[in-house]
Amino acid sequence: MASPCDVLVDTDDEGVARAAVEAARDEALRVERKFSRYRDDNIVHAINHAEGRPVAVDDETAGLLDYAATCHEISDGRFDITSGVLRRAWVFDGREHPPDPRAIAAALALVGWSRATWREHTLTLPAGMEIDLGGIGKEYAVDRAAARIAEVTGAACLANFGGDLRARGPRRGGRPWFVGVENPAAPGSVPLRRLELAHGALATSGDARRFVLVNGRRLGHILDPRTGWPVEGAPRSVTVMAGSCIEAGTLATLAILRGAGAARFLEEQGVQHWLIE
Amino acid sequence: MLLAGTLPAAAQAPVAAGWQLEATGLLYGEQARARVVEPMGRLTRLFANGRALSLGLAVDAITGASPTGALPSGQVQTTTSASGATTTSSSASLLPTHPFEDLRTAVDASWVEPLGTLLSATTSAHYSREQDYASLGGGLKSSIDLLGRRVTLTVGGGYNHDRVFPTGGTPVGLAPDSDPRVPGENPKEVATGLVGLAHVVNRRWLLGVTASESRERGYLTDPYKVVSLVDPATLLPDAQVTEKRPATRRRDDVLGSSVYHLQHDILYLNYRYYWDDWGVRSHTLDFKLRHDLGAAAWVQPHVRVYGQAPAWFFVYGLTHGPPLPAFASADERLGPLRTTTFGGTYGFHVPGSRGEFTLRAEFMYQWLVGHPPEAAGTSGGGGGGDHDLRRAIAAEAEGTEGNGRQFGTSIGTLLIGYSVPF
Repeated sequence: MASPCDVLVDTDDEGVARAAVEAARDEALRVERKFSRYRDDNIVHAINHAEGRPVAVDDETAGLLDYAATCHEISDGRFDITSGVLRRAWVFDGREHPPDPRAIAAALALVGWSRATWREHTLTLPAGMEIDLGGIGKEYAVDRAAARIAEVTGAACLANFGGDLRARGPRRGGRPWFVGVENPAAPGSVPLRRLELAHGALATSGDARRFVLVNGRRLGHILDPRTGWPVEGAPRSVTVMAGSCIEAGTLATLAILRGAGAARFLEEQGVQHWLIE
Repeated sequence: MLLAGTLPAAAQAPVAAGWQLEATGLLYGEQARARVVEPMGRLTRLFANGRALSLGLAVDAITGASPTGALPSGQVQTTTSASGATTTSSSASLLPTHPFEDLRTAVDASWVEPLGTLLSATTSAHYSREQDYASLGGGLKSSIDLLGRRVTLTVGGGYNHDRVFPTGGTPVGLAPDSDPRVPGENPKEVATGLVGLAHVVNRRWLLGVTASESRERGYLTDPYKVVSLVDPATLLPDAQVTEKRPATRRRDDVLGSSVYHLQHDILYLNYRYYWDDWGVRSHTLDFKLRHDLGAAAWVQPHVRVYGQAPAWFFVYGLTHGPPLPAFASADERLGPLRTTTFGGTYGFHVPGSRGEFTLRAEFMYQWLVGHPPEAAGTSGGGGGGDHDLRRAIAAEAEGTEGNGRQFGTSIGTLLIGYSVPF
């Protein structure tokens, strides 16, 4: 998952703590093996190299594809698991890089969930198109890992994979978990806020200091799949609380994709959220 | 031990001329903190005319983590972020630590030269080096037997020139961590003097008293320690600065010791009172009993209790906002520290060999008690309250009455030694 994964378990029993960490690790590795686009032995690789042929998928994959399809629909195409190829047209290293309109156009030609055929556990992508479940896979892994810890140990726990987290149960004495919101301008320094979480999830989305300068303008790394260009006017950081990490993560990403409309979007959704401009 | 040098010659076991080799291996571990492995060797040559040469070599491999001096965050157990970092999952009630790794090498040599039958002089020198510290020093000590050798007077002095060159440069004291550091090294000088008197009360009982004073000058700050700044509204830390200590320190101590030979056992009792001009005052009481198990083996249980009053500039945290005081440190070793130690040594000869093995195991528990000095809470904007903020923060984060035990540290030491004359 290429990011630090922490598991907090409220227990005095080292055996329980070890069992929890092992359960979380095993589940995280399983989800990563199955859905990483950097492997050549999984369902995502099979879909991305089908060259226009239909690919049958299992229930778990179908669940994630159904979810991605719904997000695409309710976001008017802003959330799109086929948009990963757009990254080829941009370099987000904080330096001045004039974008190449031909590269963007070429990438856009391979983007668009509406061009995929998804029905009855079978996905057919036009040749050359790819899916990338990275936008929901990590959050899904957090939910799955937290569920596995609860199953295996019964202890209250909090799983945090690279800044997206899910809590199952308050700590003993009914105390919530204390979660800081990272200062996007100074990761690793004192958190900007302290949130309390007993059940449910928190996820944060933002430009994370990955950006490109275009004529001196700072553009964050989140791309709008409809234009091929970075979203402008979005908050530096959006944190959303929801029942599951996959929902919290998607809502945070969708908010960023709304640019300056992020706050209004989250208010319409009726979820608790915290923005850092 | 200082006392060793003040023992009257008559009280020391008569030793035949020859070589003696001692080799020890020491393992030291603090619970969830530092680990030290120290192999050491010493070669001693005793000459028939009372001269003696001693050469020592020690290597310490140190790894682990040490408290930074910062307060527990009290705030968060983990963070949500867009950067992919989880930042910290250390509990809101745990003391922040920083990892370290170092290798220290030390060599020393000493020479005893008898001057007539009643007087002797000892000259010594040592050098040690680690990644960010070097120490070079020497000493002279002279003993004279008086009153028919019932009393021995010892007078000595020493001088150390140390150099401190912190990794990444020397931080400016009481400034944010991020401030630029000053490259180069910092000198530290230590001059020590001692006077000791040992008295053979009777055939069984030996009493001694030693007073020593040392004066330190130079860089006495710990470059890796910090002090938390506490938000006066929430009483939670929201920033931190590097620590700063005065550039001089005068340290004094008096050690009283008694060695009593019972019918079969030997009882050792030491008491030490220490004080310095940083306000640290400490008492140490040390008890050992050597009990022979036949001719070839012995055991020696050991108990020590230690208590100290904190330095005047010791704080748990400083209030964020008002001007900072001139000096501040949150280093536990300058705080209201208590330790208790239990241990024992087992020594035995392997049949048919002249060598002796010793096996020592000790357990120490250390913790902070009481309140830092009132002055720190009222002057110079210091303090952040006059109570142990660490406990208050931990109690708030954990929802329990902070009993402070979570800030105690358990320390274990295991030593295996072998000495053989040849």
